[in-house]
Amino acid sequence: MEHRSLRFYLRIYGRILAQDLKSKMSYRADFIISTIGMLFTNIAGFISFWILFGSFPSIGGWRYEEILFLYGFSLVSLTPVQCLFDNNWNLRSSVYSGDFIKYCFRPINLFFYYQSEVFDIKGLGQLAFGIGTLCYAWGKLGIAVTVLSVLRTIIFLCTASLIMVALQNAAAATCFWIQNSFYVLDFVTRFKDYARYPVTIFSPVFRFLFTFVMPIAFIAYYPSLVILRPDEVPLLSWLSPLFGIVFFYLSYRFWMFGAMRYSGTGS
Amino acid sequence: MKLKRYLTLTRAGIIESLQFRLSAFIMVLGNLLYLIVVYFLWRSIYDSAGTDAVGGMTFTDTLIYLVLATALFGFMEMYAVWEIGRSIQSGQIVLDLLKPIPYRRYLFWSYSGSFVTQFCFTFLPTFLVVALVTHGAIHFGLNLLFFVVSVVLAVSINYSIDFLVGTICLYTESIWGINIMKQVIVLLLSGATIPLAFFPAALRQVVNCLPFASIYNAPLTLLLEPRPEPRMVLETLGMQLLWAVVMNILSKGFWRISLRQITVNGG
Repeated sequence: MEHRSLRFYLRIYGRILAQDLKSKMSYRADFIISTIGMLFTNIAGFISFWILFGSFPSIGGWRYEEILFLYGFSLVSLTPVQCLFDNNWNLRSSVYSGDFIKYCFRPINLFFYYQSEVFDIKGLGQLAFGIGTLCYAWGKLGIAVTVLSVLRTIIFLCTASLIMVALQNAAAATCFWIQNSFYVLDFVTRFKDYARYPVTIFSPVFRFLFTFVMPIAFIAYYPSLVILRPDEVPLLSWLSPLFGIVFFYLSYRFWMFGAMRYSGTGS
Repeated sequence: MKLKRYLTLTRAGIIESLQFRLSAFIMVLGNLLYLIVVYFLWRSIYDSAGTDAVGGMTFTDTLIYLVLATALFGFMEMYAVWEIGRSIQSGQIVLDLLKPIPYRRYLFWSYSGSFVTQFCFTFLPTFLVVALVTHGAIHFGLNLLFFVVSVVLAVSINYSIDFLVGTICLYTESIWGINIMKQVIVLLLSGATIPLAFFPAALRQVVNCLPFASIYNAPLTLLLEPRPEPRMVLETLGMQLLWAVVMNILSKGFWRISLRQITVNGG
């Protein structure tokens, strides 16, 4: 496969995106209902923290606003996986039915082409809600708004996104080997619900597990520490951008490895 | 004779669900992870509260409540909204409507096989482990009987709500959005995410007037009460029975009206 320039890929992405949006817009009711449904899940998360902190002062020494910061952070960082990589959910059925073979015959990067085909607009509602929550918590906590802090937030949000995307890619790619990868994907997707809690609440064994084996702690906890508790940032937080890139690259290789093994269904 | 017809569907469901052993294993793994998160989360919440009981519930009570709520969810969730939605979109519903069994009943009984397997492989082990780990915090007496009766009523209410929401798919052609809204509302307002005991008083009053509390909160409260007062038991079960009847009538009525509207594309 020859390498093409980034500009070429961006142009192609724009074209495919436009087609996808057109086809989505013909199901307008579905789009509106899905967006509202997405907002429901986000608001429900917010409400459950609100109820919780009505009866309890803190979660393991973390205040209401700090937890909200983590929650907002995780919502924003989960947007790319929701919006850009949603086609991973269809991978299982297109591999099973044999439709996947069509992606293999295009003169562009297979992974890129497959993921570009679907853009999930309802993730944008989540993005808006996440940014709102993040700003609210930011204001309440009285963190100074400087160029450096904003820049750090953006870099670490990207880091967190890369890790979640990597987890999902790897989970989706298991369908090249096992039949029903839905449960693997579902299993990994549930991680995002656990990402909103500080990893310090766990015992050392599980802290290790959630940091190195299932890197849930990198989705919100380690990156947010840089903003929330700048005096006690562990080395792991600073290293997390590196981890993000490495994890993403590995998941991409794994996905492509599976795809290259794919031999079609014969139809 | 009539029952035999339905039990055949149950048997087919059991055999079908036993086919997917790997997915069952991953699901158990996922639930285990969830239980670990719940345990440490509430441990640290209670640790920072500084008192043993909050809102009349100790840490052990909360843990049993939430763990069993998850286990109940595992076997009560019938994905009826998905089933109905998919068969509307594919046109399969025409064939189902032609069957000599009412559709509502057919759907229920064809899922009942999974009830049996889920109950034996998920709920029962979870229940026993919880009972062992908490050293007899679950009282073994009359409350078990009330719990069973209550769960049966809860299953009926839950199915009626599911079916009602699934019927909406006839109009909207949106499955994901409708289903996620239902799931969020049911899980939050039934106390499956946070026990109703922690809700602010005003909110609790509202929730008590809705059918959702009868799904998770009612059976779990009955189970956790070692010496239930007859009045409280009667009130809870009576409320559940009322909701079961009301929701049954509503969902049947709405289905009957909606059937006249049905348009099936192909099939």
